[in-house]
Amino acid sequence: MKSKIFYTFLAVLMVAALLLSACGTTDEEQTTEEPVVEVSETDAPVVEEPVTEEPAAEEPATEEPATDGPCLIIGALYGGPINDAGYNQAMHDSVMAIQENIDCVEIIEAENVPEEAGATSTMENMIQQGAGMIFATAFNHQYPALTLSQQYPDVIFEHAGGWEMSGNFANFFGEPPDTWYVMGVAAGLMTETNKLGFVAAFPLGWTNTFINAYTLGAQSVNPDVETIVAFTFGWGDSAQEADATNSLINQGVDVITMHVDSPATVLSTAESRGAYSIGFQSLAAQEFAPEYWISGIGFTLGDTLTWLASNVIDDSWEPIFLRCGIADGCMAMGPFGPNVPQDVQDQVLEALAAIESGDTVVFTGPVVDQDGNIVVAEGEVLTPDLMSSVDWFVQGVTGSPQ
Amino acid sequence: MTLLSILGMISSAIFSGTSLLYTTLGETIHQRSGIVNLGLEGVMLISASSGFAVTAITGNPYLGVFIAMMAGGIMNMILGFLVVTRRANQLASGLALMFFGFGLSAIIGKPYVGTRINALPRLNLPGLSSLPRLYSSLFKFDFLIILVIPAAFFVWWLLFRTRWGLGLRAVGESADTAFASGRSPFLIRYQALFLGGMLTGLGAAHLSIAYTINWTEYMTGGRGFIAVALVIFSKWHPLRAILGALLFSGAVAFQLLLQSSGVQISPFLLDTIPYILTLLVLIVWGGARRHAAPASLGRIYQGVE
Repeated sequence: MKSKIFYTFLAVLMVAALLLSACGTTDEEQTTEEPVVEVSETDAPVVEEPVTEEPAAEEPATEEPATDGPCLIIGALYGGPINDAGYNQAMHDSVMAIQENIDCVEIIEAENVPEEAGATSTMENMIQQGAGMIFATAFNHQYPALTLSQQYPDVIFEHAGGWEMSGNFANFFGEPPDTWYVMGVAAGLMTETNKLGFVAAFPLGWTNTFINAYTLGAQSVNPDVETIVAFTFGWGDSAQEADATNSLINQGVDVITMHVDSPATVLSTAESRGAYSIGFQSLAAQEFAPEYWISGIGFTLGDTLTWLASNVIDDSWEPIFLRCGIADGCMAMGPFGPNVPQDVQDQVLEALAAIESGDTVVFTGPVVDQDGNIVVAEGEVLTPDLMSSVDWFVQGVTGSPQ
Repeated sequence: MTLLSILGMISSAIFSGTSLLYTTLGETIHQRSGIVNLGLEGVMLISASSGFAVTAITGNPYLGVFIAMMAGGIMNMILGFLVVTRRANQLASGLALMFFGFGLSAIIGKPYVGTRINALPRLNLPGLSSLPRLYSSLFKFDFLIILVIPAAFFVWWLLFRTRWGLGLRAVGESADTAFASGRSPFLIRYQALFLGGMLTGLGAAHLSIAYTINWTEYMTGGRGFIAVALVIFSKWHPLRAILGALLFSGAVAFQLLLQSSGVQISPFLLDTIPYILTLLVLIVWGGARRHAAPASLGRIYQGVE
């Protein structure tokens, strides 16, 4: 049958065309089953004591002299793509800041490593390449990293946001609740309907804490404010995020914020409906809401990670449970949008200053939950280890926390 | 419940139902010709990612929609080669196509994650511009939404009012008989797959270029499979598919409304409402004998050498 041969040929041709076009859009060879490992080397390190008299700089370095090897190889792995304008981009930017501050480090990165098995093999691969320090930035990376830290006692492991500790395993993170409180102040001042919308992926402890801090902040300047929560049940289910954003706006919400991986869909949907928005994770998100952006908060852990890496280089690293807030420069607030009046900006900055100076502590008792129970007693403060397992919403939140 | 929240639910159902309806129409055509395409999820992902990528590169969303459409058709040609020419098992081939789509779309979309694109413009419907923006923005539709109901009628006309449609349905009922009456089951099935793939591509384009204006990995979140269920729901009829798609996406909007109206039911449970509804409908519909599936659905046509 001639037609059969023809269609066979046609199908093969089309598959080939598809594959070729796919390759054309990416610069590097990438596979999805294996995590992508990108090696970015430093520029030729500064030669302080030339071994030979010949100036090394005149010739392109074809081989690295033994004395010029990197002082530390750092392996960093991320749960998602590093250009997501969200959490992974914020972590990537922080890791790359080490490179800018310390010239002689070499950084090996791996993105899209969401699950535990992939994390283990990726980290082992990095250690084989000589990594002396590992930054594991996704929630799921904690236990693989902890297991490996026992196998490789000479390698330092740092996990973002975890709680386990050992001799060569520690963790670091920003303190988002403080900044969420400040964002709440901004939202409470901007809202006209007194209804704030929060699009969240899952009712997890930390997410609930963010929602609570945000609401408390808003109530501090506007006691009538109500926060309405909608869960999408996926860190990247964009269509559901758009649905949830619209649903919130249709109930009268006029300020939208979110805790999902990429803020792009929520921000652009709010923008299309004329609702104000507040960004979270990475400050790169503002471009999605040019007109109705109020402000945003993002992780800026560059200096902290640099400090950790320099400790490893001069052998003074010790495992510490590191949490640093906006006062320490680990979190930063984005610029205000064009529609935010000056007096609102001033009040928000005042609230920020009160947080930075320690005058305002977000979860100071008494804190009352939706049903009127006291969850943080008078005179007490909610500690960070309890924040990760919060299963209640403060009064003024509409939605179910579990 | 305010007027706004009810209108909003309708608007959400239309917006998120559009991609479902295009995909369901595509699958209706496949299945009417006797092919179950379980790879829809993968086809949608490839279309969504390549459409998004082209829009990001060229800045032209219409070109993106066109590319998404062609990508859908071409992806289905792979399935066609497997199940029509190579006579492979349809279910296994479909699943393989899906996983292929998962991987390939991730590579295509990778450089454009977090990229801001020009979305498909939303048009002002006449008479709405006098309303407050909160209301008028509910019914500012892009051209893919406006065309989706006409597309359903077009598919209906194509299947039930043209000779080509008659031949396609004949192949779906009994490929041997259709062959005996002078039609080529191979050719018709390839045509059905290509057309269905283009419709699936339109649905995916709406998802990434018009509605969410974003590309994330696995962003379809099971919509390909929901479309397969909706084909059964609509009893392989394009016009009933309109109802099915609206009902499902309406249920999604409804559960979000319930969640945020302070009902003290676990959001985990509310999230399952649309899927429970789908299951219930399949159970109720399952017993009926009339308008049942095309007789040779899933069967391989061995051909006459």
